[in-house]
Amino acid sequence: MEELTAAKFKRVDRSRFDTDAMVRPTVTYWQDAWRRLKKNPVAVFAMLLLILCFLLMALGPVINGQEYVKINALMKNKGASAEHWFGTDFLGRDLFCRVWVGARASLAVALGCTAIQIVVGSAYGGIMAYFGGWIDEVMMRIVEILTSMPSLLLTMLVMMVMGNNLIALLFAMCMTSWCGTARHMRGMIMQLRESEYVMAAETLGANPAWIIAKHLVPNTLSILILNVATSIPNYIFTEASLSFLGLGLKDPVISLGVLISNGQSVLDLYPSQIFFPALVLCIIVLGFNLLGDGLRDALDPRLRQ
Amino acid sequence: MLKYTARRFLEMIFTLFIIATGTFFLLAAVPGDALAERAEHLPEKVRVNLYARYGLDKPVMERYFITMNGMLHGNFGESVIFEGETVSDIVKTKGPVSARLGIQQMALGITLGLALGIVAAMKKGTWVDYSIVCLSILLISIPHLIFGILLQRVFAGELHWFPTIGWPKGDLWEVWFGGWKYTILPTLTGCFVYIANYARLLKTSMLDVMNQEYILTAESKGLSKWQVMRRHILRNSFIPVVTNLPMSIAMCITGSYFIEKIFAIPGFGKYYVEAIGGRDVCIVMGQTVITAAIYIAVVFLTDILYTLVDPRIRIRGGKK
Repeated sequence: MEELTAAKFKRVDRSRFDTDAMVRPTVTYWQDAWRRLKKNPVAVFAMLLLILCFLLMALGPVINGQEYVKINALMKNKGASAEHWFGTDFLGRDLFCRVWVGARASLAVALGCTAIQIVVGSAYGGIMAYFGGWIDEVMMRIVEILTSMPSLLLTMLVMMVMGNNLIALLFAMCMTSWCGTARHMRGMIMQLRESEYVMAAETLGANPAWIIAKHLVPNTLSILILNVATSIPNYIFTEASLSFLGLGLKDPVISLGVLISNGQSVLDLYPSQIFFPALVLCIIVLGFNLLGDGLRDALDPRLRQ
Repeated sequence: MLKYTARRFLEMIFTLFIIATGTFFLLAAVPGDALAERAEHLPEKVRVNLYARYGLDKPVMERYFITMNGMLHGNFGESVIFEGETVSDIVKTKGPVSARLGIQQMALGITLGLALGIVAAMKKGTWVDYSIVCLSILLISIPHLIFGILLQRVFAGELHWFPTIGWPKGDLWEVWFGGWKYTILPTLTGCFVYIANYARLLKTSMLDVMNQEYILTAESKGLSKWQVMRRHILRNSFIPVVTNLPMSIAMCITGSYFIEKIFAIPGFGKYYVEAIGGRDVCIVMGQTVITAAIYIAVVFLTDILYTLVDPRIRIRGGKK
């Protein structure tokens, strides 16, 4: 065996290396996710599309100088023109304004429902996972019962008691939807509590508040963000379908569902009256779906190279 | 396994009992009753008789016990708004209609979706993959409400290939297998969402499995591409698909209400909506319990199916 002698080694001048220097800037999880989202052309396109939709919703009636409630008996059921960009409805009201004002209601309901779903669902799921035992068992049974019931029954009963207004619709659509989030959160938190890094943090003496804030919340947040992105299109669909069946909102409150339902009654004569609300609905939903897809790729660290 | 099945069965009965009770009291809590509108202008004596005829004159708790007792004996009671009809009549005449619509759309949608998912995963990164992904995102961005109206307008209204509305009627054979021209458009309307969901689901899951090391092992053992695909990749990537099945069934039950409305199909859903609107306790109770029972049974079957698809999952109370 060859002998290792001091002569074989050469001392390296340490002062030549700056050991404290960072070769690359530190990137947090969120910065990294945001950077990857920006690199995804489809996601950027979706974001621009949604921003455009939000602007049109906010400005809608201002842009073409029409009012969404103004009735004009001389301009009934007109097609698209320079004055009325999407045409007019059976009372001569400007459809462009009505579509964007209606989209406000649709989006407001969707955002409200998503917020309730996420807050109630994660709190419920967190409690189930935290307490475990019989509390978990009972709470889980409640979730099972709610998911087994046809959601249409609960929705209709709530609408019957509270009337056809926005708040009622908000509650009606959230009645069962939080159950999915609750189950998801329960599973996530139970899995995380068993994980090694949480155990390591506990061993190092971290207090529960630190573990919750530093480990449990960031790790479940990405799942929740994804949940938000996929729930919004679902709520927009449900609102449109319910209003279409006459179970959701009703005139004079307008939403995309109400407009589509109104348009369907004159489909054979004036197809433009259903085309434009349906198109706007599809564009908004497409935007959220594409963004959700981009977020899925950006937020999952396992997918990075 | 037997112990587990028995336990699950008891739990199912309990869940159904709670659902029935909940539905009854929810309906009782909603102001107004099924007869209010009809009895409004009737003389006092006739009104009393009418209420007595349907048993609506009794106090809530007594009605509850009568309804639950009837249900135990398979008798849900008589409808108030659809005169003379009982729940079993509706199940017999409308059940097959909705069942056929549901089975057709799920069978077509899931088969096509899985096929597209496999193709997309195998051709990953090519234009085939991208166009399948684009197609599925487009498909889930158009609500079936709009799809239905569009298909109806183009293929029935303009081209006259299919009838606009309706559903095959007649004997048992005709109801289940006849009149394809009526069922094609509603089935297509409903199946798009399954195509999109299952294609995406299977593709993601297959890509996940393909990156696993046991696939490399299988390939280095010298198995052919098809053997690896069939024995290793497909078997393992079907687990999320099975998990998703009960969700799809629940979605199918709700989604069908809208399709039945668009195509004027005399199915379960249409009756359900009308019965809830008219506070027809018997019909609502009957349909709710039946729908819930179907859903719970599907969840149970899925759990059993799990162990077949994934032998690693063992049921509690089984082999340790």
